[in-house]
Formats: sequence, structure tokens, C-alpha cells
Amino acid sequence: MALSKDIYKEFEDVVGAENISDDPAIKDAYRSPDLTVILPGSTEEVAAVIKLCNKHKIPYKAQSTGWMLFAPTYDFIFLDLRRMNRIIEINEKNMYAVVEPYVISAELMAELFKRGMICNVKGSGSTCTALAMSGHGHMGMTTSTGDRNDLATEWVTDEGEIVRLGTLGASDEWFCGDGPGPSLRGVYRGGGVITKQATKVYHWPGPSAFPLEGLSPRYTLSKKPSEMNMMVRYFSFPSIEKLIEAELKIGESEIAFELMGFCPSMVSSNITTSNEEDFETLEQFTREVQGPGFMVIIAGNFDEDFEYKKKVLAQIIKETDGESLKAVEDPDAEATLLFQCTRVCASIRETFRAGGMFSSMMVQGQRYDNHVRWLEEAAVLKRELIEKGLVIADDGQQFGWGEEGGHLGHTEIFCRYNPYDEKSSKAVQDWLAKVGKRALDGCFAVPSMGILPVDVIGKRASNYHIWFGKLKKAFDPNSVGENTGFSYVGADTSGVHTSIYQKPEKAPPKK
Amino acid sequence: MAIEDYRGDVEMCCRCSACKHIPLQMVKGVEHSYACPSIARYNFHAYSGGGRLLIAKEMLNSGFKYTDKLLDIVYNCQMCGGCDTSCKYAMDMEVLEPIYEFRIRCVETGHTHPALDKVINSLRKQGTMLAGAKGKRSAWAAGLGIKDATKEKVDVYYHVGCLTSYDKDYQKLARATAKILKKAGVDFGIGYENESCCGGRAFQMGYKDDFLKQAKKNMDMLKKAGIKTLVTSCADGYQAFKVLYDKYNLKGDLEVLHITEYLARLIKEGKLKLNKKVNLTVTYHDPCYLGRLGEPWIHWQGKKIPGYKFVFDPPKVYRRGTYGVYEPPREVLKSIPGVKLFEMDRIKEYAWCCGAGGGVNESNPEFARWTAGERIEEAESTGAEALATACPWCGKNFKEAIKESGSSLKVYDIVEIVGKAI
Repeated sequence: MALSKDIYKEFEDVVGAENISDDPAIKDAYRSPDLTVILPGSTEEVAAVIKLCNKHKIPYKAQSTGWMLFAPTYDFIFLDLRRMNRIIEINEKNMYAVVEPYVISAELMAELFKRGMICNVKGSGSTCTALAMSGHGHMGMTTSTGDRNDLATEWVTDEGEIVRLGTLGASDEWFCGDGPGPSLRGVYRGGGVITKQATKVYHWPGPSAFPLEGLSPRYTLSKKPSEMNMMVRYFSFPSIEKLIEAELKIGESEIAFELMGFCPSMVSSNITTSNEEDFETLEQFTREVQGPGFMVIIAGNFDEDFEYKKKVLAQIIKETDGESLKAVEDPDAEATLLFQCTRVCASIRETFRAGGMFSSMMVQGQRYDNHVRWLEEAAVLKRELIEKGLVIADDGQQFGWGEEGGHLGHTEIFCRYNPYDEKSSKAVQDWLAKVGKRALDGCFAVPSMGILPVDVIGKRASNYHIWFGKLKKAFDPNSVGENTGFSYVGADTSGVHTSIYQKPEKAPPKK
Repeated sequence: MAIEDYRGDVEMCCRCSACKHIPLQMVKGVEHSYACPSIARYNFHAYSGGGRLLIAKEMLNSGFKYTDKLLDIVYNCQMCGGCDTSCKYAMDMEVLEPIYEFRIRCVETGHTHPALDKVINSLRKQGTMLAGAKGKRSAWAAGLGIKDATKEKVDVYYHVGCLTSYDKDYQKLARATAKILKKAGVDFGIGYENESCCGGRAFQMGYKDDFLKQAKKNMDMLKKAGIKTLVTSCADGYQAFKVLYDKYNLKGDLEVLHITEYLARLIKEGKLKLNKKVNLTVTYHDPCYLGRLGEPWIHWQGKKIPGYKFVFDPPKVYRRGTYGVYEPPREVLKSIPGVKLFEMDRIKEYAWCCGAGGGVNESNPEFARWTAGERIEEAESTGAEALATACPWCGKNFKEAIKESGSSLKVYDIVEIVGKAI
């Protein structure tokens, strides 16, 4: 099905001929045969396009930066927000930054570093949008998680109405997401398009730019991390209980800039520059670690602060029988981890390099006990896939990090695999389904990313999907917006990548 | 190799968009963070390195559909390799090689660009990429008493290149080079009318057969003349002789040096003394074909190890832009008394392209100038009064863009600045 010439012309009149295409070559790059791709350049253009979608009852989907090969499954008008790439404001006094959807985190972080500040960078890494919204990042210990960071927001609804939320609804200020002015923070993740958003920013005790030297792919720092009052260490523990104890103590003592529950394979991926080197290094790490572990980054505001934090860390590690991985104490490895995990927030090397794809089960909330234990079970199931040669043979472990000083946390496990191998893909999908079901059956968590139908999850979560469906109907009477029936929005924060979820046709009968 | 041989690589693209930006560690702000001129200018994902791989993947699966838009995508790429370097910071996969092979496939199946056909016709008829070139290739050398390397033994063969030979504005570069080499006491010669195009730009445009003809012709001439060392001041020529000829096993043991490498060597050995002060603040533009794409070719043959890792036996060593020519041009500039060097945000392996490569200069001059304009703005932001480069094609494109924009930035080839210092 293609747009008629007349309708195509209506969209073309909004964005200009250069910014719309339904050519097969363009569509191939967006991985769908049924798209018309539109590149709006402003909020007004987004609104006008969506109004046309309503007029002609044509569904649309929007994308900020995009990440991974999520192919649109039903969409017709695809809004690629690439042209909306401006930083609108960095407000140092009130500690926020206002961005459009195609500002990437690497850009915003570079600007913030210069001002002694940072923002939350989502776990998908800094090639992705700097919009706040959902998305958990390595620096969550300091910056919390995405959905704690969104402030005032400019939002285009599924009917094409431009709505200014939070303080922006009552003034020109961006400092609050909840008012004075309308607050729809619990709703807007389900549809529409965010066109501008303020995100909180935080204090950064490090340099205004890392003193990088060398050439790609092996950059390093001209200074040792310790010369910048920074330290990176990886600790392993004799048991998961000891690891949890150490995490909690580190959180309570507020000494860590970052606590990232990397498994050794993620450390080796990040400090190596090829698959071969990665797997060799992993073998070495696997021999050296005594059990589950995490990486910690300490950042001192001044010499005495740095020394104090190091001492407290050493004491906690001693009390919990932790052991430092010697390879990470090497200043070069330490430096690489420092800029990889703060400035870039890792991601590509550890996820895609080995096999081309990864699929993940993740959850946010109380990291300790429940979630860690649930994903420890998932790790056992994953190791079966490793033994069968269906997924990349890494250490198979869960990982995660504490957020807000450890009050909250993110826990995750993923399988890396070749997505073009049918056996492998099916095995991973089955694994996700099993792990997701176990989360519900065992009352461990509400799985936020997986292949369970939304009504299966909804039944176990206050039938939220029914409420969500009602909200969706109110905001999107013509059903042109994202038809997921699922409120989770991951790395791609303009509400894109969950189209595998379908809205339930019928609400479940009342009991 | 053909596009089919890169199926594994194109399937490795995970659409992370690293190819659109410079390596993320090197992003210095919201300005100058893009690596790829094509996606920066045309915005649809199809114009990025990753988008090109996704198109290739679809077409490998379901056949090649040559629409006008597809050809627009194919030919609006400078083949600058920015995407390749950025991707390979994190990934083990080829990006630029399949893009090359896709373009070669287009040419082989007759889906060419008329402006590029015109250039190739000139190559076939006159041995130059300058369509409509008039006069003798060696006219610039008249009266300079330079040896004919095809008739006399010389230590160094100076390959002048098409633009420098024929373009009246650029012949001064050839003369300056000759003057410098003489001053340093180098026993050198040129090919006069036996010099022919290196073929590198033909390869960039997708005309692989024409490139190979030129490569064989040149190597025959050089072998016959007993040439052991070739020096050129053209980045495209450098990459062709050093990398592409080697890729196709035609280079033999010919030593290939860019003029900046050779000048740096002469300065270090004390054979070239730069005594005159040149009061100039400059910023240096790394030409793509001297920098990231000037990295030596790596001969590798192997097979993917069965299983789900993308690893090979023997292990594949990737060209990631690490070993391009970055320091010699800077060393030369720093050796000139009075010259102060300021660096741009995007340098070395992640430098922004000048815009002239890949045939874009001929097929879409507006895009070539736009790309140059982005670089000029970046150069201006350093506060330097001049932009120095080490490739005549870059220099020419910059000058034309400056003419259009009215910028006051001056453009020099490094050879010109060295010429002022002796």
C-alpha cells in the first residue's frame, strides 16, 4: 500500500520535497516495505504531519536516534526526527538542559563537561538521544534513571496538538515537569512525539574534557585517572550475598560516582579493540575472578575527598571479602574504563560486536534480592544456550547497577547472538519468554522488555493495560499513534521500538 | 571480492548509528560531531554508512532495484571512510569495502552517473581525470631542467598527478615541489608525457576496470624505469599507489611516500632547511586519502569460524584508520619558523572530508561545496587565518567554496608554505 499522489503531496507541502520519500531504497534502510519516511524539522512540522495522519487515518511512528534493528511492523508514516538536533538551552544555575530529540548524549555530555556537569546517559550509550524519559544508565548512582530526570516537556499528541507540560505550560521556564501547568508524565510515554524536553543535570567533579590521546580504536588518557582524583576498580565476591552487601554499603556511604555491575565479559569487551582480543581477555578474567562482581568509579571533588572515598571503599571491600581484578588496576585499562563508562557509557563493544545482536531481559526497581536472584535463574537458562552453541559463550551472568545511591537499581541479562541464524534467534526468543514468565510466576518482577503479550503482563500488574487502552483511546481517537498498548519506552525515547507488542483486542472479563 | 563476499559484514550492522558521528570520545560538543557528510546533508538513514549496508543486505536478499533514488544515494558519497573508522572503533566489520563494491556493481551493470562517465571518458582518451584538459601534461616543467625519469636513472620519481599537472592554478604546486626537492639536493625526475593518472579517483567512482588498466600501465612504466621510490603531493595518488595497487597485488616493492612524509624525512636528516620566517596561523586539514584511508593495505585471507561469533581463522586484522599519515604534515608545518598550528575539532582519523572525493566534485558540485563549507566554518572557529592541506583536490574544493561563501580564510597546500620558507 502506498500513499496516493494527492496525500503524498499534502505531506510534502509540510516538510518539502527533500524531506519525504517512499522510494524502495529509502525504505530498505528503514527495514520496511510499507513506509513513507518524513523528516520534520520543527515541532510545528511534527504537529502538521500528525494532523494529516489523523485526517487520512494513516498510522505513524516517530523515531529519535533509533537503536538496534527494530523494524517497524505496521507503520505507514515514519517520522525520523534527525533534523531536530538542537540544544535549546543549558541552564547552569537551575541545573537542566533542554534538547530536541536528535541531540545525542555524546554531544550533550561534551557540552556539560565543559560546565562541570553531566546528565544521565542511557545504557544504550551515547549515540542515542539525550532526551530524558525512560532509560537507565551506568551513572545512575549519581544521575538516577531516565524517568527521574525529565522536566518540562513539549509534546505533540497523537491528534497533533502541541502541549507544553510542567512549568512550560505556565511560563517559558523548563525547570519542573509537574507544574505549575499540566503534568502528564505518566501518560506521554504512551504516544505522541516529544519534540523538546528539559533533563536534569548533575555535578561532575572531573575535567572539562578528558585528556585523550592516541588513535582509534585505542584511545587512552595522557594522565592517570588518579591524577584527576578518579579511580576505577572491578571487584569480585565469593557469593551473590557478599556482592549485594557490598553494593548496599557503597550506596549508603555515598562514595561511588558509578557502580556498574558489569560481568567480566563486559569489562573485557570495553577495554579490548577486537573480538579475538576480547575473548582472550575474558578467559584471563574468568580465571581471576572469584565470583560475581561489579565495577566502581570513585570521583573525588578534591584530594581529601578522593582519599576519604578510597579508604571507605577499601574498608567495605575488606568487610565483604571482595577482590580487585588486577588487570583493571593497570592505569591504561583503568583509563579506558573511565572514559568508556562515563563519557560514552560503553554499549556497542559489549553488546553488538561479538555476534551482531543482543536480546535482553531487564528490570528496574529493587535491584537487590528479588531481581538479582531472578536473573541468576535466567543465567542458568542462558548457560544451557551457551553449551548448545546457540549464543555467544561469555560468562553468562546478570549485571546491573545501583541508582540513587542504591535505593533503586537496574538489573539485566542478555544473550549475544547472530540474528540471521534462525536456530539461534528462536532459542533466544524462547529464553526471553521463559525468563519473562518466571518473573511473573515467581513474583520477582514485571518484565519490561520481552516477548510476553501485554495482556499476560497486565493481568499481573493491576490490569494496567486496560487503563492504558482507555488513555490511549482518549488521546488517540483515530488510532494513528503508536499502537503498542505498552508503556515501556527504552533506548529510543520517542516511543518507537516496542511495536512487537499489540494492543489487546478485547479487555479480559471482569472477575 | 564482490559485494556478495561482504554479506557477513553487512549483516553485522546493528544500526547503532556510530557511523554517523565521529568516535564518541572525540565529540567535543554539539558542533562538529558528525563524521559523514552524506547523512549530514541528506538526513535519510539510507545516506549513512549503516543505511547503505542495510540497503545492500536487502538487495543481496531480494535483488538489485536500481531506482533513481538508489543511484542518488550511491553517488552522493565521497567514499571518505569516516563511517568506517567510527564503526570500527567498536565493531569488527567492514563498512567502506562493501560500499565500494556496491558502487562497482552499479558501474558494472551500467548504472553510472553521466558526469562521472564524462570524466572516465577523459581518462580513457587522455589519461587524466580532468575532463577537457588541454595542452601537455608536463607543460608546467618547461625550462626547469627536471630529469625525465623514463630516460635517466633517478633516486626519486615525482608523480605530479592530474590536477597539479593540468590546472593552471595548481601547476605552481608542481613547480614549488620541484624547487624544494632541488634545494634539498634530491636526485629526482618526472615522467613527462609518460605520466598517467594513478586511477585512484576512477576506483572511488566505481570504475574498477579503468583503475586496474591505469595501475598496470603505471607500474609497467615505473618498473621499466627502475623506479624504487615514488613521491607524490596528491593524496588520492598516494592512496592509489600505496594502498590500492597493493590491494590488487600490483605495487611490488615500490616505496610510496607522500610529499609531506618525504619533506619531514628531509628536514629530520638536515637536508632541507627551512630558514625564512612565515608569519602564519594555520589549521591543518587531514585529507581522507592521506589520513585514515592512507593506512597500508592488509593482505588477509581467511574464513569465518563456524558459530555465532563474528571471528575468523586466521584472525582478521582490520584497517581502522589507525596507521594513516597524520604526523608528518604536522611535523613539517611545525618546522616552519613563524607558523603556528591550531587544531580543528575533527582531526586525523576522524577528520571531516573536504567534499571533493568519490566523484562528488563532478556529480554533485553543490554537495561538494556544502561539505567544504562545513569544514571551512570549522577551520574558522580555530581562529587560524589559513587552512593548510596536503592534497590539491581538497585545496581546490576549499577555494571554490570560499569563493562562494566570501570567507576570508586563506587556503594553502603545505608545499606552498614550505616553498615560502626556503
